[in-house]
Amino acid sequence: MATLELKQLLKIFGTDVRAVDEIDLSIPHGELISLLGPSGCGKTTTLRLVAGFIDPDGGEIQMDGEVVSRGGEIVPPERRNMSMIFQSYAVWPHKTVYQNVAYGLKFRDVTAQEGDQRVKKMLDIVRLGDLGERYPGELSGGQQQRVALARALVVEPGVLLLDEPLSNLDANLREEMRFEIRRLHDEFHITSIYVTHDQAEAMVTSDRICLMNRGKIEQVGTAMEIYDRPETRFVAEFVGVTNSIEGAAAGAGVFATGEDVKFKIGENGAGGVSGKHFVSIRPHRIGIHKEGTTIDGAEGLNVFDGEVLRGHFLGSSADYLVKVSGLTEPLRVEADPEMFYPTGTKVRLVIEPKSVIPVRSSDD
Amino acid sequence: MTQAAPPIENVAAASSASLTRRLDYTALVWISVPVLLVFLVVLPVYFLLQESFVKWNDDNTMLLSMGNYLEAFTDPIYYSPIVITFVIAVAAGVFSLIIGAGMAWCVSRTDMPYKGIIRNSVLAAFVTPPFLGAIAWIFLAGPRAGWLNVLIRWIFGASDNFTLFNIFSLPGVIFAITLYTFPLAFIVVLAGLNNISSDIEDAANIAGGGTFSTMLNITLPLVLPALFAGLILVALEAMILFGIPAILAIPAGYHTMTTQLRQFMVSEDDMLGVAAAYAMPMLVAAVALVWTRGKVLGRRGYATLGGKGGQRRPQKLGSLRYPVFFLCFIPVICTLFLPYVALVFTSFTKTLGGGLTWENLTLEHYVFMIQNDGVRVSVVNTISLAFMAATGAALVASIAAYISQRRLVWGHTFVGFMATAPIGIPGIVLAIGLFAAYTKQPFVLYGTIWILFLAYLTKYLPLAFQTSNAALTSIHPELEECSRILGANRLQVFKDVTIPLFKAGLIASWILVFMPSLRELSASILLWTTDTKVISVVIIDLYEENLFGPISAIAVTLLLITLAAIAAGFSLVGRDFMKAKR
Repeated sequence: MATLELKQLLKIFGTDVRAVDEIDLSIPHGELISLLGPSGCGKTTTLRLVAGFIDPDGGEIQMDGEVVSRGGEIVPPERRNMSMIFQSYAVWPHKTVYQNVAYGLKFRDVTAQEGDQRVKKMLDIVRLGDLGERYPGELSGGQQQRVALARALVVEPGVLLLDEPLSNLDANLREEMRFEIRRLHDEFHITSIYVTHDQAEAMVTSDRICLMNRGKIEQVGTAMEIYDRPETRFVAEFVGVTNSIEGAAAGAGVFATGEDVKFKIGENGAGGVSGKHFVSIRPHRIGIHKEGTTIDGAEGLNVFDGEVLRGHFLGSSADYLVKVSGLTEPLRVEADPEMFYPTGTKVRLVIEPKSVIPVRSSDD
Repeated sequence: MTQAAPPIENVAAASSASLTRRLDYTALVWISVPVLLVFLVVLPVYFLLQESFVKWNDDNTMLLSMGNYLEAFTDPIYYSPIVITFVIAVAAGVFSLIIGAGMAWCVSRTDMPYKGIIRNSVLAAFVTPPFLGAIAWIFLAGPRAGWLNVLIRWIFGASDNFTLFNIFSLPGVIFAITLYTFPLAFIVVLAGLNNISSDIEDAANIAGGGTFSTMLNITLPLVLPALFAGLILVALEAMILFGIPAILAIPAGYHTMTTQLRQFMVSEDDMLGVAAAYAMPMLVAAVALVWTRGKVLGRRGYATLGGKGGQRRPQKLGSLRYPVFFLCFIPVICTLFLPYVALVFTSFTKTLGGGLTWENLTLEHYVFMIQNDGVRVSVVNTISLAFMAATGAALVASIAAYISQRRLVWGHTFVGFMATAPIGIPGIVLAIGLFAAYTKQPFVLYGTIWILFLAYLTKYLPLAFQTSNAALTSIHPELEECSRILGANRLQVFKDVTIPLFKAGLIASWILVFMPSLRELSASILLWTTDTKVISVVIIDLYEENLFGPISAIAVTLLLITLAAIAAGFSLVGRDFMKAKR
């Protein structure tokens, strides 16, 4: 187990593509952190920098307080005591399952007998106990992925790196393997970095999520923090669905849009409202009522009247687009479908101030 | 990645310093192979160009001059080889395409019986040396004693003067060349057809197109790039062949450009410069053809061709199934069965017209082959050259493929370009370039086996490169990276992962170079000396002395060696190894 420290890490591709743009990240012992973001956000490049496959152009990476990468100076991957799970599984087709898993041990100070025990135990843990003599070509995709997991874990690495490990699996298997990865992490507590573009995967597997966009880190936090208290518009929009409304602070706890619609804001936003240019409101945090409904305690809430532009009944919920006068974009609302308001219905919307989250735009 | 990393202070292990040092050796390989490629490809072309543009003074100084070009292209007697070559390339190209594409369509798209026989026979035709086919066709369609003419006379009771077939003629040359170039068209078009799934054709059917309209509007346009690429390959091959014209055209009183080039090179006067100038149109045409082919195949619009095969629904031929099969079998008979029967027969008989009687049977030609010093030396030379060229090409090509796929050096795309560039250099032109480069100080290789080695290595490098490259694409870089992160250094990764996975590709490229090296003629014919004769050159010599029996004995032996190499390939690599060819 190990700690990892990324300091001002910089990687430039070509002449001016800042794939990883001076990021700072510190990962404590035994944490599984995921790097989440759209393709091209720099998450895989960050992972490969940590693995030592590429040199940073600036900044450094420390493992247990010792520098392993610094511009132009680099400990080669094989000296880092790390393991990696690859997108393509990278299971060697010319070696049996057993040989695949045992491979990393030959570079470590392990007796033949102990090695054999460790491999067999690990194969049992990933439920491949009786498939040791098979070749990978005879295994299913999920089984190959388990071989990759066993091979990475059997060497007891200081750091485990996972590069979109589930993206080649079909949907059912992917869901199952998410829990499998989390289960194995709970068992071994290996410091891990998990790269993915799938938010649900990140939320299920990781202790913390590091959201990346255009080579920079947007926010680091638990799944709940990221979802309920996004700091930037990008984070709010990338994780889940949201309404982003542009505007500016108009006094303490009040946010005004261009058309002078005012939102009351609760204590939830990080650092308050001043200097923020957007608020984020999750669709399911908006209450929807019949036109003219009396709202109790309306003075402490945000109450708007609007008209349903589009209403869809989805079984477990109902999905609306509601036009509110003064707002340029209609609001998305997700509500209990018990009361359904068809297209064209006049409605009253209620939003608690704590559900209106002021966020920075990513360019700020 | 090639730069050496200085050791880091306060880094985990001090031994990492020695580890980074070790990378320098591999870096040396990554750099030396591109340099070698430049040396192999650029040097002969450079000297060819230089030779064509200079005249040598008596004191060995050069004088820039267009004299060679004037001499080569103003004398009318040198026009006709150019015209003849053009006619042959176009005619053989078109005929080969019609035959090859037609057979490919039958194999890929119809329910014709015995498709496997047709496909494998065409592949077998591919490994038959064209010059042996030409000699066999003299036995078959020679004007006087050719079996087919004898047969026709017997059937129609015609006199001995009646000659229906004369292989020593322009149509005869075109016929013989077509026989040995249509397999190329077949392979290229078959690959194109096999990549169009029936889904695409089904879609056209559902949209209301009939069978014929679908073929015309959908299948044909999709396979058009492959057809065009096939035509170009065949025309190029027909243009640069030396053996068939040397055997069949010269007795008929024609020269092609290749035989004319040899004429210059063996001339009493020093006509190297004229030969170099005369080679230029061939070089330019070859480069242009290869370039055009790349453009045609590289068009993104035809990306579906590269896609998965998918299900194919064969066209029902009904009562025509067997007639179509026999039609497809005719070229196979002419290319393979008749010539080999003729060669085997001739190798065991005293006289060509003597028939299959006990008195006419003999082993004397095989005895000649074994006892004749010249033949024995040439067999040793040929086999050692083929070994050396196959080993050299497989090594250089696989390293070049590795460099270009793993992007190990700056300008890695250039490495791939250099390794495939010799496709655009006809063998005989390459030989003139090598002759020009290696007969003068400081590199005198002419007269040694090494100049032949360089010729073979360069000529077959593209074949080996394409095979290695295809084999390497199936080795995902992550397979290597995984080995590294688990603790293996670069060399161990090679030993544990790259080489075991690449072995089949390496063997395949070795055999694919070994086989054609056994029968290389067009470069050897200009570069041999008494001690460095090879089998193909000996056969041409024997042909000039009309010693058909020994030729046939050698031909049969050569065939057996080739078959052994193929068998070895199949058992080591599996039946896929021929697929990578071209």
